[in-house]
Amino acid sequence: MANTATEKKPNNWNSNTIAGLGLALILLLYFFSANAPGTILNNPKLQIFKSVFISIILEAMPFILIGVFISALIQVFVSDQMIQRVIPKNPILGIITASVLGIIFPLCECGMVPAIRKLIKKGMPLYAATTFILVGPILNPVVFLSTLTAFRSRPEIAYARMGLAFAVALVIGLIVYRFVNKDQLKGNSNPSVQAHSHSHHHSEPHEHVHVHGHNDHRHPRPNKIVELMGHTVSEFFDMGKYLIFGSVLVGLLQTFVAQSSLVALGQGQGSSNLIMMGLGFILSLCSTSDAFVAQSFMTTFSKGSLVAFMVFGPMLNLKGLLMMLAVFKTRFVVLMSILVFVFVYVGTIILEMTLFK
Amino acid sequence: MKKIGIADVHNFLRAIILLGFASLIGYLVLTGDILLYVTPKLTIYLKIAGIGLLVVSLFQFYISFISLKREVIVCNCGHDHDHDHGHGHEDDDHHSHEPSRSLWKNVLIYGMFLLPLLLGSLLPNKALAGSLANQRGMNLGGVSVNGGSAPAELVELEGNEDPAIRSLFKTEPYNKDYAKLGMVLYQQNVIEMKDEWFIEKLQAMNTFADNFKGKTIKITGFVYREDGMPESQFIIGRMAMTHCIADISPYGIIVDSPDASQFENDSWITVTGTIDSTTFHELKVIKIDVDQIEPAHVSNVPYVYPDWNFASKL
Repeated sequence: MANTATEKKPNNWNSNTIAGLGLALILLLYFFSANAPGTILNNPKLQIFKSVFISIILEAMPFILIGVFISALIQVFVSDQMIQRVIPKNPILGIITASVLGIIFPLCECGMVPAIRKLIKKGMPLYAATTFILVGPILNPVVFLSTLTAFRSRPEIAYARMGLAFAVALVIGLIVYRFVNKDQLKGNSNPSVQAHSHSHHHSEPHEHVHVHGHNDHRHPRPNKIVELMGHTVSEFFDMGKYLIFGSVLVGLLQTFVAQSSLVALGQGQGSSNLIMMGLGFILSLCSTSDAFVAQSFMTTFSKGSLVAFMVFGPMLNLKGLLMMLAVFKTRFVVLMSILVFVFVYVGTIILEMTLFK
Repeated sequence: MKKIGIADVHNFLRAIILLGFASLIGYLVLTGDILLYVTPKLTIYLKIAGIGLLVVSLFQFYISFISLKREVIVCNCGHDHDHDHGHGHEDDDHHSHEPSRSLWKNVLIYGMFLLPLLLGSLLPNKALAGSLANQRGMNLGGVSVNGGSAPAELVELEGNEDPAIRSLFKTEPYNKDYAKLGMVLYQQNVIEMKDEWFIEKLQAMNTFADNFKGKTIKITGFVYREDGMPESQFIIGRMAMTHCIADISPYGIIVDSPDASQFENDSWITVTGTIDSTTFHELKVIKIDVDQIEPAHVSNVPYVYPDWNFASKL
C-alpha cells in the first residue's frame, strides 16, 4: 500500500508538470507570434479554436471508438496465453513482426494506443509494443499511397519516409529490449499490491473472483456483452480525456500561433529539420493526411526536413504524447521521446547527405 | 437495494456524455454541417461512430439503472485497468483523504468532455476562410524561380493530341499527370476553377505558367490579402482539406486589378480575367489580370479536396 502511494504521487506530479509546461510553451509561442494578446475573447479566434478543436475530436472519434472496442474485446475474450503464443520468442523477430503489423491493421495512433495498452497488460513484450506504436501509423499501405501521390514528382520521399520510420522503430525497439525494464505501464509498478489496495478500498471481497461471481448471479451470455460494453465505456473515458486535452492544446496552438511565423524561424541546413519536426509535433495530423500538408512546404523546405516532418509527427505529437502518458510511466515516455527525436533528426541529416544530395 | 452513490452519478454522467456525442454527430450529419469539419470520405466513418456511440450509451444507461438496484455489475472492481483512471484518482484520494479534491478532479475531467459538446451546440458552425488562411500562409502553388534541382530529362506525353501542344507540355516524367491536365485545360476557351480539381488545376497551370499566358480564366473564391501586397492586388483563394481542419490550408491565385481595394477580405467573388505570371516570395506564379469581378455566393461545398487520382479520370 505504501509502495503504491509513493509510486503514484511523483507520477501524477510529473504528468501535471508536463501539462503545465505545455501550456506555458503555448503562451510563450503566443506572445512571440504576430498576434496581440487580448484577442482571446474576440469571435474569429474562438471560432477557429472551436472548429479546429471539434474537427480533431470528430476526426479521431471513429478510430478511438474502434481502439477502445478492440481493447475491450481483448480484455474480455483474449487470454494472456493467446498473446504469448502469437508473439515470437525471438526479440528481433518480435520487433520485425510488430513493425509490419501496421500493414495488416492500418490504424492511426488514436486507435492504436488503447489497444496496445491492453495487449501489454496481457503479456505483449514492451519492445514489440513500442515498435508497433512508433511504426504502425507510418508503415502501412494507406499512408504509403497517400505519401506517394502527394509527392508524385519525388517518389524517393515516400520511400525515404517508410525506410526511416522502419529503421528508427527497429533501433528504438532494440534499445527498449536491451536496456529498459519491462514494467513501464502507468500505475502498474506492483500489481499484487495494487490489487490488494483496491479490494480494501471497496471492501468487496467477491470482486476478486469476478467471473465466478457473475456466473453465480446471472446468466453468463448477457454478462459478456454487458462486460464488453462496460469496458468500452470506461476505456473510452480513460483515453478520451487525454484526446480531448490534446485537442484543446492543438486547437489553441493552431489558433494563436501562426504557422508562417514558425516557418520563418529557420530555413538553414539542420535547423529546418528541427522546425519541421516541431511543426509535426504541434499540428498532430493524422498520418494519412500529413503528406499533403508536407507537400505544400516543398518549395520552401528541404526534402530531408519534409521527411523529418512526416516521420517525427506521426511518431510523436501533442495529441499522441498525451495519450501515451495515459498508458506509460512518464519517465518511459520522456525516454522514448528523446530517442525518437535524436534518431529522426540524425536519420534525416544522413538522408540529406546521401539520398537527397 | 442501496442508496444512490457517487458511482451511480458517474455512471449516469457517462451515459449522458456518450449520448451527447452521439447527438452532436447525428446533428452534424443530418444538417450536412459535418462537411465543415471533416472530408466527405470520413463522413461514413462518423456515421458508424455515431451509431456506435448511441449503442454504447444505451448500454451505459442500462448498466446505470441496473447498478441502482444491485452492487457493481461490471468491472468497478478487480480488473487490472481500473488503476489508471478515475479509480486511480480514487486511490489517490483514499490515501490523502481529500474528497473535495476528487470532486474538483471529476469536475475537470467531465468538464473536458462537456467542452466540445457545449462549443459544438452553442457556437454556430461556420466555414473558415481568410481568418484561418492568415494563420497558415497562402499556397500559390508556385515553382521556384531559381530552379532548385538540376533539370531532369524532359519527356513528351503520348497520345493523339496535337503534336505542337504535346511539345509545349514537355516535362519531367514525374510531372506527367500535371502535363496531361495542363493539355486539357490549354484547349479550353475559358478555364473554369470550380470545386473539382481546384488544387490540381492550379498546380498544372503553375507548372506550365508560360503556356497559359493570355488564356481566359474564371474563378470563384474568397478575397485574401497577404502582408506587403500592393494596393492593386489581392489573392482569390479556397481552403483545401485533406482529412480535417487540422490539415486545412489555403490555395489561391494573385489577382491584379485597379479596383482591388474595393473588395473586402473574406468576401466571395467571381473573377474573370487573363492569365499572366509574376513572382511572389521568389516563386514564379500565375496571376490574373481582371476583366470582370462579380460578387458570388459562398460555395455550397465549403472546401476543396485534393484528388490524388485525377489523372486517371481525365
